[in-house]
Amino acid sequence: MSHQLGRVVSEILHQYFGEIVQKVGHDLFIYGTKPIPMIVKTTGLPRKQVVDSLRTLVKFDLVSFEPSFNEVVADYKLNPDNVLLLIRYPRYLLQIKTKFGSEAEILVEELLQQASCTASFLLVTVAAKYKDDKKKNITLVKLRDVFISIATARYIQQAPVADKSEVPSLEPVATIVPDIDIRQLAQAIATDTLADVSDNIYWKVNFDRFHQDFRDDIMVKAITRRIDENAGELMHLLLQNMYLTSAEWAAESNPTPVLDLRDAVDRADRTDCDRNLLQQYMDHYLRVLEENGAGFVVRVGEAGGGQYVVRGRDAATQLLLAALDHTVTERLGSKAARIFRLIRTKKYIEEDDIQKHAMLPNKECKELTYKLLEEHFISIQPMRKAASSGAMAKAVYLYHIKLHDVAQSLREMCYRALHNTLRRAQHTRAAHARLLDKQRRVRTIVHTMRVRGEPQQHIDDVEETLTPPELSTLKDVEARLKQLSAAQLALDKNLFILNWYFMYPH
Amino acid sequence: MSSSKNDDPISEKILNVAKKNPKGISDKDILAAVPELSAAELVSAINKLLQEGLFDLYNQGGSLIYRLKGQTSKQAVKGADNEEKVVYNLIEDAGNKGIWIRDIRLRSNIANTQLTKVLKNLESKKVIKAVKCVNASKKKVYMLYNLEPDRSISGGAWYQDQDFESEFVDILNRQCLRFLQQRADKIKNNPKGPVVGRTQSFASAVEVQKYITDLGISNVKLEVEDVITILNTLVYDGKAESSVLPDGTKVYRAIESLIPPPGLVQVPCGVCPLILKCCSTGLITPQECKYMDDWLEN
Repeated sequence: MSHQLGRVVSEILHQYFGEIVQKVGHDLFIYGTKPIPMIVKTTGLPRKQVVDSLRTLVKFDLVSFEPSFNEVVADYKLNPDNVLLLIRYPRYLLQIKTKFGSEAEILVEELLQQASCTASFLLVTVAAKYKDDKKKNITLVKLRDVFISIATARYIQQAPVADKSEVPSLEPVATIVPDIDIRQLAQAIATDTLADVSDNIYWKVNFDRFHQDFRDDIMVKAITRRIDENAGELMHLLLQNMYLTSAEWAAESNPTPVLDLRDAVDRADRTDCDRNLLQQYMDHYLRVLEENGAGFVVRVGEAGGGQYVVRGRDAATQLLLAALDHTVTERLGSKAARIFRLIRTKKYIEEDDIQKHAMLPNKECKELTYKLLEEHFISIQPMRKAASSGAMAKAVYLYHIKLHDVAQSLREMCYRALHNTLRRAQHTRAAHARLLDKQRRVRTIVHTMRVRGEPQQHIDDVEETLTPPELSTLKDVEARLKQLSAAQLALDKNLFILNWYFMYPH
Repeated sequence: MSSSKNDDPISEKILNVAKKNPKGISDKDILAAVPELSAAELVSAINKLLQEGLFDLYNQGGSLIYRLKGQTSKQAVKGADNEEKVVYNLIEDAGNKGIWIRDIRLRSNIANTQLTKVLKNLESKKVIKAVKCVNASKKKVYMLYNLEPDRSISGGAWYQDQDFESEFVDILNRQCLRFLQQRADKIKNNPKGPVVGRTQSFASAVEVQKYITDLGISNVKLEVEDVITILNTLVYDGKAESSVLPDGTKVYRAIESLIPPPGLVQVPCGVCPLILKCCSTGLITPQECKYMDDWLEN
């Protein structure tokens, strides 16, 4: 919970929910937990606005509440980690689209926007929305099938249920894949009301399931880069097996016997790898994966033809180190990165030895070492000799890396960068607010004119109210905003690795 | 040595025995080799040889041992006084590691001023030379003129007159990486399986050394150890990994980073020197940031 995190969270809330919610959110971030009257007092907002903001925040699970000392009053608390997930939404959509197709994407998008809703409401809304869209050809039956399959795959889950106390606490419930009556829903669409449908099971998106996918993806890609596609596929299968036997985020999975893997390889039907090669040389691949796969996988026993363990914690550490290496390289140059890695390999090292091993000129080496120290990538440990040994005794300075601390400062840096991109995007949007607004208005008018079937000439007239210079500025602004949001996604990926590393206690 | 050869048969015989036993000979050995020698003759012969400076005299376990001196030492000491001889011997013993002037003074017990004179004298005769040490630039060590300084003194192939040649190291670093990269792809989808592929993608230091020598970019002869040092820098660069084969040879393989450049370095903030001074208001703000302007321009 750092100052930088607070800035990012505040900026995100402003972008997605506007100024008032930002104020409430920021207030909660600074003071921790507090009840409504206190928020009203410190923010100076009318009570109604505060309540509305809190309602929104609670709905999206950005704020949690619990009974305070006086049991009829609730204390509210911001969940900054969940706020950061808001910028990850496009990735969730992309992931679900690649796995389950565009219907799933539409469903998840709607669900993300609603935060939580009943299955029937979700299906009816989506079906109604795309009723006229002949191109997509979305039917209620198809939607229902997709809904059931993503629920089975746990990408969506049942929302926690509130108990009956004065300040309710939310109890998580086991997800049961529902049985949806299509006829009832069709009727609901025809009559345009959901009053007849009695459905009180609420659903929400299971972010954790998506995060597991992201993690698997990172690990498989890393192995593919290190060895080849087949090894990547093997890593994928190992992870799949891990889900069957261990907790999803276990630091070390339970051992997977080779025989099970062999079955999995025989069943696998991925196209991007050479299956025959993998089948033929699976043992070899496992050996290479263990010895050259950055420690993601280790062999632990001989039972069942050998047993392998996936080491999530080690993988996270390795990936963090790779990210750190990149950062040091870009910030201070490849020579500094060499020193950084050297210190890491030797654990504790003296200044003279750094120069000897890094093969750098004395002066340059010292300069880079001090720069690394200045930017907190490395730390120093003085070793003073006992005073009795006289004036000849010089203190020895040992350089080393405190990985946890470095990871923290890297995360701070990511927060800063993320804040800056968000801020810049907001600034750009504000600077061109008039133009963007005009463009939006023209588009709406043109759309309604098209629907009404007015002559093309009139439509052209309206479109021409946007002059060529305005159009070119708009194009420029759009390109910038796009670049900024791409950067935000990339930063989010960076933060994902860092948070994964922090997930395990160190 | 030719001068002693034509002297007399006794000295010659003694010399021959001494040559066969480089560790030194005792009176008994001489008597065994030259049985016709009387004690008086032996004494006079030995004395003569000692005078000529051909032998060193040692006391080993109560008996005297004569040891033949090296050829060069005999030449060098010619026409030198006693101090010079002592200093010379000390320097000679130090070998190619050299000896520091302070150590000479302590061991020889010669006064400082005289010692400098002696050293200067020997230096001008080109019998010894002074070599600067790379580790401590002020420290001078002395060694025989014809010796090649040790690595610890000269710094090996990486130093030219005490200066570290970083460009040379950079070039070698790049060439080694290129060599390893040429092989690295063999592990990918190798039809003979990944273990064979991995073995093919490995390169030992000897192979790399041969490649570098064949390239002819270095006019200094590079030893295998030098190449290993360079290869280790590649490992520290994160561009290679090392591994040990079952027979104990160290092998290297070019690798790629586990992840592509992360998001932080794709934005200007990741490399910005002012990131810690960047605030919401003030002189440095993301809204007014020049770096971000440039980045968004293209």
